[in-house]
Amino acid sequence: MKQSVGERLFQLFNYTLLIVLASTMIAPLLQLLAVSFSSPIAADSKQVFLIPVDFTLATWEHILQNEVLWRAFGVTVFITIVGTFLSMLFTVLTAFPLSRKDFLLRKPIMLMMVITMIFNAPMIPFFLTVREVGLMDSIWALIIPGLISTFNMVIVRTFFLGIPSDLDDAARIDGCNEFRLLFQIYLQLSKPVLATISLFYAVGYWNTFKTAVLFLRDPTLWPLQMRLRAFFTSEEELAAVDLIMGDFDFNTTTLKAATIIFATVPIVLVYPYLQKYFVKGAVLGSLKE
Amino acid sequence: MDGHIKNEQVITQRTGFWYRLLQNGLIKNVRRHWMLYLMILPGIIYYIVFKYIPLMGSVIAFQDFQIFKGIFASPWVGLENFKTLLHYQDFHEVLRNTALIALYQLIFQFPAPIILALLFNEIRLLIVKKTVQSLFYLPHFLSWVVVGGIVFELLANQGIVNAIREMLGFEPILFMQEEAYFRTIVIISGIWKEVGWGTIIYLAAITAINPSLYEAAVIDGASRFKQTIYITLPLLLPTISVLFLLNIGNFLELGFDQIFNLLTPMTYSVGDIIETYVYRAGVLQGQYSLTTAIGLFQSVIGFALLWIFNRLARKSEQGLW
Repeated sequence: MKQSVGERLFQLFNYTLLIVLASTMIAPLLQLLAVSFSSPIAADSKQVFLIPVDFTLATWEHILQNEVLWRAFGVTVFITIVGTFLSMLFTVLTAFPLSRKDFLLRKPIMLMMVITMIFNAPMIPFFLTVREVGLMDSIWALIIPGLISTFNMVIVRTFFLGIPSDLDDAARIDGCNEFRLLFQIYLQLSKPVLATISLFYAVGYWNTFKTAVLFLRDPTLWPLQMRLRAFFTSEEELAAVDLIMGDFDFNTTTLKAATIIFATVPIVLVYPYLQKYFVKGAVLGSLKE
Repeated sequence: MDGHIKNEQVITQRTGFWYRLLQNGLIKNVRRHWMLYLMILPGIIYYIVFKYIPLMGSVIAFQDFQIFKGIFASPWVGLENFKTLLHYQDFHEVLRNTALIALYQLIFQFPAPIILALLFNEIRLLIVKKTVQSLFYLPHFLSWVVVGGIVFELLANQGIVNAIREMLGFEPILFMQEEAYFRTIVIISGIWKEVGWGTIIYLAAITAINPSLYEAAVIDGASRFKQTIYITLPLLLPTISVLFLLNIGNFLELGFDQIFNLLTPMTYSVGDIIETYVYRAGVLQGQYSLTTAIGLFQSVIGFALLWIFNRLARKSEQGLW
């Protein structure tokens, strides 16, 4: 196709702009990665630009020996695995009846659940309720109060609605009950959407922060994000040694950079592989709305 | 004959939903499909306990709630808490901060993904498009704790932004400690994190546009720019309208995580918002009734805005309901 000079100039401008902006999405992480491998003197005297200066592993050796950090990592891994499994189970169990024409209460129950997307419970009554239920300072406070995401549930239900009902008749003739229908037929047919939704949940659990702020006073139960926040606000906890007393090849600047990378690496590692599912899910969700 | 029909209408009106439900055989339905009812039971309990009970619990905004007496024994005080709020210096400040940041978000953050999606759409080289998009989606998956940490590190005295300033001969600035920069940082970090993710819905809507419209425009000699202005943008309008409405309902809910992780005591006067204030005064200091009143106030404003804008949108047939 023939292009005018103006259009060509625009193309050039557009490519340049988007490539520059896109690199700012990853540059901050690369910079912190470089800082985490640099000597504290280089890091604090503004010498590091995306490439480590006075390369050292001291910061990482110190960080990877930090038991408090590993404990928080363990909590996060636990809630990500167990939480994602439980959320998926109850999301599917809720979505399935709501997709069945022979479930008489599907409309009022659906309405009751969707309404909560517009009317959020305010923070304080929510906090008091969770406390009444007895979840204060329990690891389950990170899972149960946010067990089902209405948004995800609606996506699954929409997908179930699209499964042809001829299958039901065939299954019924084979004497298949509704539990088996769900677990042996519907779930098998919805693997792509289930993968998408479990990834939504898993990232949500990995990034769990607000519920920990609200419900966990006991630091041994803190998930990774909460531990990170505590490190950022208290440099003594971050260093875990007296930086003034000794001669160390790390300082709070390099340690902070390393903890940020530590919490981000798992997400970045799975990201390229998972990206296509996320995009699909975001579009699926928007169709309903 | 005429009277008979009227009578029947009255009956259907009176009986309503539940009567028809019983008539249609709710009991029979439960017996026959008890498994479906069993499946959904945990879900219903979950919604009642963690969504509806807290929603009802908002009534403590009209009480002098005392934790040991509970919701049933605490004395009712009517609108007392709301009156206190109106004369409360903190509340004015917090409300102003919330409204201003919300407004800036609407002006700068809301249109950003629309513009970016239009720019994405002009990229013809598939490999560039895919790579650029992948990079733009990435920050969405980072938590605000991490993003807050990144922002603090990059803007610190020894951070890269001040390093660049120094190279250009400027004095370093302690960005995170100065009130003047706080709201700008909130908006820019918000755009950085979510702009790419926000394009997905718009890109899907653009893909759904009938290509024959563009073909006809090309025959008429319309440039790419004119095609964007006169075809793509108008056809995106319904999507924009719906997303705008979904946004406006949460107008004052800026997101606790973001502000909480960017805020320091030095920037409270410009950055303390309703949610961070409610957390400190409510959860930490135990002023339950007063902070619930603030929360309720916030929800009412959100719903009022949603209602007003929905009416406006409905005039052009693009409302939510």
